[in-house]
Amino acid sequence: MTQPARTPSGAATGDGEGVWRRSWFQALVVLAVLVAGYWVSRTAGHPSWAGGFPTGIGDSFMAWLDGIYAWIVQNRNDSPLFLYFFNYVSVGLGSAVVLINQALDALTWVGVTALGVLSAWRAAGWRVALLVLATFGVFALTGLWNASMTTLALIITSVFIALLFGLPLGILAGRSERFHRRLRPALDFMQIMPAFAYLLPFVLLFGIGNPAAAVITAVYALPPVVRITALALREVDRGAIEATTSLGSTPWQVLTKVQLPLAKRTILLGINQTIMLAVSMVVIASVIGAGGLGDAIFQALSKVNVGQAFQAGLAIVMLAIAMDRVTGAVGNGAHTPRVPERLRLPVLGGGLLAVLATVVIGRSFDLGGWPRNWAVDIAAPVNAVNDAIESAVGGATSAMGTWTLEWVLAPLSQVLTGSPWWLVVLVAAALGWIFGGVRVAVLSAGSFVLVGLLGVWDNAMDTLSQVLVASLLTLALGVVLGVLMSRNDVFATILRPVLDAMQTLPPFVYLIPAVALFGIGRVPALAAAVIFALPPVIRLVNDGIRGVPAGAVEAADSQGSTKWQMLTKVQLPLARGSLLLAVNQGIILVLSMVVMGALVGAGSLGFDVVFGLAQNQLGLGLASGLAIVGLGLFLDRLTQGRRASHA
Amino acid sequence: MPSSARKNGLLRLLAVGMTLLMVSSCAVRTDQMARDPGLVRIAVNGWVGYEASAEVLAYVLEEEMGYDTQLMRVDEQPSWQALDQGAIDVILENWGHEDLYELYGPEGNDTVVDGGSTGNEGVIGWYMPAYLAEENPELLDHEGLRENTDLFRTAETGDSGEFLAGAPGFVSQDQGMINAFDMDLEIVYAGTEAAQMTEVRSRYANEEPVLFYSNKPHWIHEQLDLVKVDFPDHYDGCDADLEYIDCDYPVYDLNKIFRSGFVEEDDHAYRFLDNWEWTNAQQNEVAGMIADEGMDPTEAAEVWVDENPDVWREWLPEGYEQRVR
Repeated sequence: MTQPARTPSGAATGDGEGVWRRSWFQALVVLAVLVAGYWVSRTAGHPSWAGGFPTGIGDSFMAWLDGIYAWIVQNRNDSPLFLYFFNYVSVGLGSAVVLINQALDALTWVGVTALGVLSAWRAAGWRVALLVLATFGVFALTGLWNASMTTLALIITSVFIALLFGLPLGILAGRSERFHRRLRPALDFMQIMPAFAYLLPFVLLFGIGNPAAAVITAVYALPPVVRITALALREVDRGAIEATTSLGSTPWQVLTKVQLPLAKRTILLGINQTIMLAVSMVVIASVIGAGGLGDAIFQALSKVNVGQAFQAGLAIVMLAIAMDRVTGAVGNGAHTPRVPERLRLPVLGGGLLAVLATVVIGRSFDLGGWPRNWAVDIAAPVNAVNDAIESAVGGATSAMGTWTLEWVLAPLSQVLTGSPWWLVVLVAAALGWIFGGVRVAVLSAGSFVLVGLLGVWDNAMDTLSQVLVASLLTLALGVVLGVLMSRNDVFATILRPVLDAMQTLPPFVYLIPAVALFGIGRVPALAAAVIFALPPVIRLVNDGIRGVPAGAVEAADSQGSTKWQMLTKVQLPLARGSLLLAVNQGIILVLSMVVMGALVGAGSLGFDVVFGLAQNQLGLGLASGLAIVGLGLFLDRLTQGRRASHA
Repeated sequence: MPSSARKNGLLRLLAVGMTLLMVSSCAVRTDQMARDPGLVRIAVNGWVGYEASAEVLAYVLEEEMGYDTQLMRVDEQPSWQALDQGAIDVILENWGHEDLYELYGPEGNDTVVDGGSTGNEGVIGWYMPAYLAEENPELLDHEGLRENTDLFRTAETGDSGEFLAGAPGFVSQDQGMINAFDMDLEIVYAGTEAAQMTEVRSRYANEEPVLFYSNKPHWIHEQLDLVKVDFPDHYDGCDADLEYIDCDYPVYDLNKIFRSGFVEEDDHAYRFLDNWEWTNAQQNEVAGMIADEGMDPTEAAEVWVDENPDVWREWLPEGYEQRVR
């Protein structure tokens, strides 16, 4: 697939693999059929048999959901389902967040800092402890101490819930293949469903503010810990298990004495991923009143104060990086200070005493949160930089934006929305068959029909056009930058922290500058999606090329290959696995930005999700969210490559 | 007074824990969530005028009356839901929403109470930059606008003119007006007020045409010279059919909405918020400091409170001093 064709089209090659059998050519033919179908439908004046998907079923589905919404609103405090279940969870979680927040407050800022730094040192060594100290420093100096503590309380609560359910599920899935197979689609679904789309149902069930925020964050952060725990248990050496079983151990003993200890490191990696997702979700959760750092970002953005939003974004980036390094270090255990066995208790006791002492000192000086007037303002310089960039390149970028809109986005959207719906379904099926075989073909057609049945066909096609363009752009840029990164170590060293920051910076922060540069509409959304999805693609391409065996490179080198030949004939083909994964990840991440894009005028499915949330229209919001999942299923399966080849 | 509040932190932790224990033994209503009795929870909807009111009131509640406050930032509709669920105590600035009052008010769930006017008057309408109206005065009237919608064409809307809508949570009847007045306009949904304002500001800087949804009081009117398009006045029932609305937005008498339980407790905090009433000019003064001068909202509130004791002292309920420790 990655090899360019050297034969003129139509002519068969000598090695028996005719151009007709190459998947890229087949895909082109299928797309040509789609465009032809669009022209026919257009010249015929869009007759009803060649229009969009009928919306009847979708409309009644939405009305049904709206009915559920109305029922819940009226019966929340009467129905036993709520009185004895949902409200318990709601009140319990809401109270837990409040209690943790108050506890952090009672420790005072010196106490929290001492506790954080000392435990980071004990778990991960002094380098990480310094990073934690710096993080608390950023919280304090940006004047966001209290907001940070609120966010921390929410993260602690939701990570706790995620682990409470995720670890047992992961263990079950790790021990039973059947359970794992049943669980997988649910996990896939959770990862593709845009977070915004399930805000409203959870608000409805668990109550606005902290309770719903905790549940949503937990749900969002759950999949990695389940998947990775299951994987870790599976990878435990069969020999070790058999040895213990033959010694007469019970399954419980095998689990606790052999499997879990041996899988510990990998499981910690899963926990690390879960915490990272929780950090990114608490920002979104502020839309439903969760408060904290996400709230600080929204508050700044509502006044179009990019600098202030950046400040809060920086606090989140620091929080994410610190949590990542701490849990990462616990996982590989490399930098943990070696404290001799007999000194462990004294060290622990000493640490606790030190924390206690700082808390007492803090409280006796009446310190609580960090005093507001000790803050350092970086908002003004950031705003100045932002304005300078805007006035320097604003004209060029907006012209570029207009061009993209007129020549790429708008025509593609027209073809997709203007073609007969059944033709689009057939094209999806054909593409699925070409790239993935019969099963993928059925799934592709199925997901398009599902999107149609939800009653949001036109919007979904428009969204699909935006996702496709953003994905292509991401992949093109990602491959170029990834290749450069793999060939130049200096560039790689510079790029790495930038990628770290890009991945953890909440997208809200760069949405508004994107509007300033590209004007409102689909183009700034496109830009934001590319920025968001780019880092993993670059990383995967880089890793893939660097992972190509040195022998292969040397062999090609000795035959006198040019650098270009080396890249296209040896490195890229051999890194095919990583490249395919990069394509898949890139597309899924672009898809997850559909709703974010709607915040700057991308419209379509994303806007309906946001609108549904803001105007309490459960039907519209949820149907649009599910349609995004439908598109995601199609794109994900299409790009996962050929598992069962049809050829 | 946050320091004195802190001394009682541990005591409060205990009190909250006790409520939690009591609650966990029977059927649970959402309003039984652990809550500090000295905490007033105020919804803050996403515009600066509202924020100005909330910050000033929160400042007086904290510094003068010894309460703690929590400002919860949510959209309009969800904040009604939050009142219903008992997650907040008050919405300070409500724009209409009769349908929600029917649902949650005395006729419905009976969880919210109309708290009367805030003294502020709210205007929603279609706005454009003043320079545009000077060049083309006919645009200021809906009939003149209809003839000239092509002025507002953009790449995003193609052959139709562009109308920039507000945030998705805002009250809106734009499509109905476009239908009724037969305008060749396409609504572009900015998705957030921030994005919409960014776009308006950058078009204003380049002196390009732009037509958009906005409201007053709003900080954008302090920064840019904007004028409102004239439509026939709002009359009763003209907005009954959302697809066809042949009138302007109504002028809103902004009001407060309280949680019923909060009113029943009849605390000093409730009486204070009930007494509160101020003018558009007063709100704009604070909102201007926040949005225009980029001042921290709490600082802006502090400045205003320091300068206007005679205004806010009127709002203090009798005997509130007993609360202050």
